[in-house]
Amino acid sequence: MLEFRQVHKAYATPQGPLEVLAGADLTLANGESLALMGESGSGKSTLLHLAAGLDLPDRGEVRVGGEVVSSLAEADRAKLRRETLGLVFQQFHLVPSLTVCDNLRLQARLAGRERPDWTAELIERLGLAGLEKRYPEQLSGGQQQRLAIGRALAPRPALLLADEPTGNLDEGSADDVLALLLTLVRDTGCALLVVTHSPRVAAPLDRRLNLTHGQLTPLATGQDACA
Amino acid sequence: MRLILTALATLLSHYKRHPGQLAMLLLGLWVAGALWSGVQAINASARDSYARAEALFTTGLDRLERRDGEPLEREDFVTLRRAGLPVSPLIEGRVVASTGERLTVVGIDPLTLPGDSAFATAGSGGELTAFFTPPWQTRVAPDTAPRLGLERQAAPGAEPVLADGRQLPPLAIAPSLPPDTLVVDIAVAARLLERGSALSRLVTAPDALETPPKGYRLSRAESLVDPGELTESFHLNLTAMALLALIVGLFIVQAALGLALEQRLGLLRTLRALGVPGRTLVALLALELALLGVIGALAGITSGVWLARVLLPDVAATLQSLYGAAVGTQLRLPWHYWLGGLGVTLGGLFVAGSGMLWRAARLGVLGLGQAQAWRAGFQRQLRGQVLAGTLAAAVALAVWSWLATRPAGEGLVAGFVLIAALMLACALWLSPLLAAGLAGLGGLARHHPLTQWALADLQLQLPRLSLAMMALLIALSANLGVGSMVGGFRLTFLDWLDQRLTADLYLRPPAEQFDAVQAWLEERDEVAALLPTANAETTLLEVRAGGDGRRLEVPVSLFGITPGARLTPTWPLLATRAGRDAAWTALEEGDAFINEQLALGQGIGPGDRLVLSAPGGRQPVTVAAVYPDYGNPRGEVLFASATLRERFAAAPGSLGIVLAASAPSGEHETEARSTALSQALTERFALDSQALIDQREVKALSTEIFERTFAITRALNALTLAVAALALLASLLAQARERRRRLAPLWALGVTRARLANIQLGQLGGAALVTGLAAIPLGIAITACLVAVINVAAFGWRLPLHVFPGEMALTLATALGVALLAAILPVLKLWRTPPRTLLAEEEAT
Repeated sequence: MLEFRQVHKAYATPQGPLEVLAGADLTLANGESLALMGESGSGKSTLLHLAAGLDLPDRGEVRVGGEVVSSLAEADRAKLRRETLGLVFQQFHLVPSLTVCDNLRLQARLAGRERPDWTAELIERLGLAGLEKRYPEQLSGGQQQRLAIGRALAPRPALLLADEPTGNLDEGSADDVLALLLTLVRDTGCALLVVTHSPRVAAPLDRRLNLTHGQLTPLATGQDACA
Repeated sequence: MRLILTALATLLSHYKRHPGQLAMLLLGLWVAGALWSGVQAINASARDSYARAEALFTTGLDRLERRDGEPLEREDFVTLRRAGLPVSPLIEGRVVASTGERLTVVGIDPLTLPGDSAFATAGSGGELTAFFTPPWQTRVAPDTAPRLGLERQAAPGAEPVLADGRQLPPLAIAPSLPPDTLVVDIAVAARLLERGSALSRLVTAPDALETPPKGYRLSRAESLVDPGELTESFHLNLTAMALLALIVGLFIVQAALGLALEQRLGLLRTLRALGVPGRTLVALLALELALLGVIGALAGITSGVWLARVLLPDVAATLQSLYGAAVGTQLRLPWHYWLGGLGVTLGGLFVAGSGMLWRAARLGVLGLGQAQAWRAGFQRQLRGQVLAGTLAAAVALAVWSWLATRPAGEGLVAGFVLIAALMLACALWLSPLLAAGLAGLGGLARHHPLTQWALADLQLQLPRLSLAMMALLIALSANLGVGSMVGGFRLTFLDWLDQRLTADLYLRPPAEQFDAVQAWLEERDEVAALLPTANAETTLLEVRAGGDGRRLEVPVSLFGITPGARLTPTWPLLATRAGRDAAWTALEEGDAFINEQLALGQGIGPGDRLVLSAPGGRQPVTVAAVYPDYGNPRGEVLFASATLRERFAAAPGSLGIVLAASAPSGEHETEARSTALSQALTERFALDSQALIDQREVKALSTEIFERTFAITRALNALTLAVAALALLASLLAQARERRRRLAPLWALGVTRARLANIQLGQLGGAALVTGLAAIPLGIAITACLVAVINVAAFGWRLPLHVFPGEMALTLATALGVALLAAILPVLKLWRTPPRTLLAEEEAT
């Protein structure tokens, strides 16, 4: 589903170029879940942005569903995000001017894949029933993140990319949201890449990778990347 | 399509949650469009009136006059037609309708009138027969019917009665005719106007005659005064003011759009992340602009038409009093007016929104959603503004230098460019000036933490306030500039009236009774002196300056006055050949004075010699002086009345009556004597009771005309200022919520809400005061430019520069008032917000 081949990415800084990815390799199969861990500033979010086509690598290849992302035009990368990917952000990035219901349906509508029965099921399973007419600012943090997850899953994407999906939540809410995320991912059969620094979040996923010095290395179950 | 509709609905949903922003946007568009469209509707209607007047026969035809200066008679027409020349007779005069309206009567001979005039092409042959056979016809434009006391629908076939009880022939509607004009057969006109066999004009088709017939002079159509050309500068003035209002309105729009984009950065990022291509988003933002633009423009145009309906009577009065141009008081709008209004409003909107679209197009998807980044760019923007302001100032300097090399009366457009460049330079420099001032004051207030915070906070507000402050500066300075010009004009005009209206009473007897009335008055004890005037029309044929001579064909008015102890000491002169006393002596000896309009328009000065057409042939006269003649659209040559009547066979005009002084000569006594004299005159000569007018009445009437002349100027200025106030209010309201969030921590730290409210008022009042102070020198510069360049080019006369401290104080007070008024709503809201809510809002960010 997702493949990184010798991907390099550097940023210009006043002290010279800072290489955050130095020949990173990664493979994520259909339906598989993967946790990407590492210290702050290690390049985890950069890797996620490259996977989503929000940014392009300096060298190497990023493939999503067999397509080389860097060879796609901007409009095609947008189509890829719209139809193939689901994105969940740490800051939620809900649309403040849309109601809960409209936020949930937004990406599905953009992709032309809205299914009312699935939307209704999502609302139920996300615990947002009765809150459909509210606006995001009227929800708690946990509810907002559940809504963001629902929005990403509404078009049934093939790959879900989540950037610190529980980073803004307290421990209790984080556990609830994570459990819900994994259940829904399993039910929809999509692949999942989660960027996190939390071992609690990484633990239930199929695989874990650690990003250090621009290279990805596997982590065994129970091993803490930040230890 | 689904993508586009969903993304567009998502973008527009922002306004559902922020209706104030939508209102601000539409308000800006509406106001800008209304003022612009209103003025354009007035201009279009006036131009339509000119076009109809021109298309008839007032200016589009060559004209014949007798070389001996005698009036034209039917015999002249018959003689010339018998000689095979294609001339046509015209009779022109005024009648008073039963409604009291004065209307122009034009009598024509439809069979000889040149074939392509609007009248000749107005109807079929059958209608033409009805026109010149009993019971005849009165042809009028549809908008003239109400002036005759008729509904438009009831006009055809009606036979309205005039004020004197006479009946007009049945009406026939001819839309191509000018307003307030009755066109009848020449025989009907001669009867209505009691002209006997006298004609007003003999006309021919343009260039139908190569040379004038013997004994006649030919004035080509192109050398005659066209009201359209004459009033062009007036309409340009109006357009400039409307453009100012449009720009100020678009400032609001730009501020609203900038804010709407800034608040939607996160939304844009989200939409990009969810798969909406960047180009699609920019296109959708443009579509949103177009949708809002069409709504705002339609509202603006509709209101503009209403505004034009309200203002048109005053504008028509202005054009009549300033230029003698007849303009209908009914709007007549061509199809391109509607398209033009829509185009200008939408064009302006896209110019105002281009910055937003450009920024949205350049935003990297990863950097989106950071309002802080937007604000960080403000420093760069300030540097850009300083540079652009300096460039605008350089343009102003270059235009001013160029104008200094041109003769007076030239450079109307350059004058407007100069004012625009000055305004732009000052507006662009305002924000950097405010930012620098705040930074400096912040350093000084180090030991006063709350003041320091207030200054720093105002710096943070500047990016959003700067546009509104620029709009306020432009509106204030334009208001001060135009207000000082009008005030100076009023002062000069009233002085000038005092200087010229020196007699106590003015009498306008019929021409045939003039000499008898004069002789009778000379015998009266209560009359100390008589100041008879005379007037005539002629053509200026040649100007000789030094050894050079220039041949001209300029129509001029001749006016005769009676120099004497009562008149000459106060009559203002702008330039003389050898001093005031010598000038008056020269006038009494047969020399002439010319008005400023003629002097500037034809480049004539004291000492030059003019050759004028006169009944006895060419009359050479020497110019002894130039005098100011405010409000007169035409060139005028002034003589002693006796000289004028003798050399130019001029008709007598009015009689100025200076009453003998009696102690104590109070106002009541003058009034009593004037009433007694009026009664005696009425009884002796069967004069109209209104024939004798008190000097104060003349002044009051002139002042009223003056006030009406500038009614539209004042209205547009006030509206522009109101728009600027709205811009400021809208900016403040739009950021009110964010402001409250910023104030919450201060409240938590122990600052009372009252103190916080005062800080807000102080911040805005201070910024407005600086803006008001900056508007004062700019306003004076605008006044100087108006009186020295634009008025001279537009009207033909120069005014002295007057500076009014009261106007300046009013400008400062207005700046403060507008700012405090705009701040009061957000402050009240802050006052009413429970402190806990303030903190809740802060936590929600």
